[in-house]
Amino acid sequence: MPGKLFLSFSSAVFVVSLIAGANAANPATPAELQKARHDHYHELGDAFKEVRDQSKAATPDFAALEKAAEVVNQASIDQQQWFPKGTGQEAGKTRALPEIWSKPEDFTAAQKMFSDRAPKLLAAAKTKDVTAVQAAFKELGGACKNCHDTFRAPEEH
Amino acid sequence: MIVNDSDPSQTRVPVWDVPVRLVHWLMVLSVAGAWWTADTGRMDWHQYCGYALLALVSFRIYWGFLGSSTARFSQFMRGPREIVNYLKGRRAHVPGHNPLGALSVVALLALLLTQVVLGLFTVDVDGIESGPLSTYVSFDAGRLAANWHDKLFDVLLWLIGLHIAAVLYYVLIRKENLIGPMLSGKRVYDSDQPAVRTGSIILLIVGIALAGMLTWWVSRAFQ
Repeated sequence: MPGKLFLSFSSAVFVVSLIAGANAANPATPAELQKARHDHYHELGDAFKEVRDQSKAATPDFAALEKAAEVVNQASIDQQQWFPKGTGQEAGKTRALPEIWSKPEDFTAAQKMFSDRAPKLLAAAKTKDVTAVQAAFKELGGACKNCHDTFRAPEEH
Repeated sequence: MIVNDSDPSQTRVPVWDVPVRLVHWLMVLSVAGAWWTADTGRMDWHQYCGYALLALVSFRIYWGFLGSSTARFSQFMRGPREIVNYLKGRRAHVPGHNPLGALSVVALLALLLTQVVLGLFTVDVDGIESGPLSTYVSFDAGRLAANWHDKLFDVLLWLIGLHIAAVLYYVLIRKENLIGPMLSGKRVYDSDQPAVRTGSIILLIVGIALAGMLTWWVSRAFQ
């Protein structure tokens, strides 16, 4: 007959595996999600700068330009996953405004503007046409601004 | 001291030449413009204000070596002893900046130059707007420059505030009008003061051309 010790041991294992299972299904805390989002946008800013730098260079590095445009394009798809509920200001310091969650249709439309325009930048980068890249970059910048004006808090000074 | 213009021992003599005065007031306009355009997100105009300041500061430094006598650093840069003497009430023997005011001139010029240089390397948080020289640094370095550009502006505002407070102290407490001379160029001095040596017109043209070329070159990221 199994002793008390064995019973409590096996129930402990059971509880631990339950917690682990819950963790696998929901791996990140809101704070971790916020940090991941911040890192994603940092990477996006880095890629944007690369596109801008190359499109202004006397002899652009088209390989670097295309690679950065790929990052931007991928981010335009991935960003739809970057704003799960509960990662707003209630979860910690962030410039993500409550409107993201209170006006979901508007936010989705703003995100769609980004994901509609990003492929055009990538296409322009592939043609190695600097003028086309500059035009697509400018248009894409408009999509960034469009969303930031409504859904991102102004920078603190 | 209330100065009487008809007093034969007191005469209105030139103290600040046209380049010094013009640079001073254009700096006022450019800093105000840079402030307003940054606050309202007009980054293209903010860059133009920065270029204007780059040209103005670089010309002023040039004129500080080769300009009229009161514009020259060698004339108004004084050691600590002269600053202390001035504070003890000894009057300056030459027209121009007093030893204490000179510190404010140098500090403001140095800070403006630092601000402009930081601005040239600045990148915004989205990597969209950026200074012309940011292509030579990483995104993170550009963000660091942006942070310092932002913080130093507060220091600049404090220094400008101190500068204005000092001028108002002279005008209101010591009854010495320092604002009029920065407009008209002339100031009442004891007649035994040495005359101000004006700068050479050729050196003036060369200085303007050099400052303009430097600014153009920088704005094109040296390309």
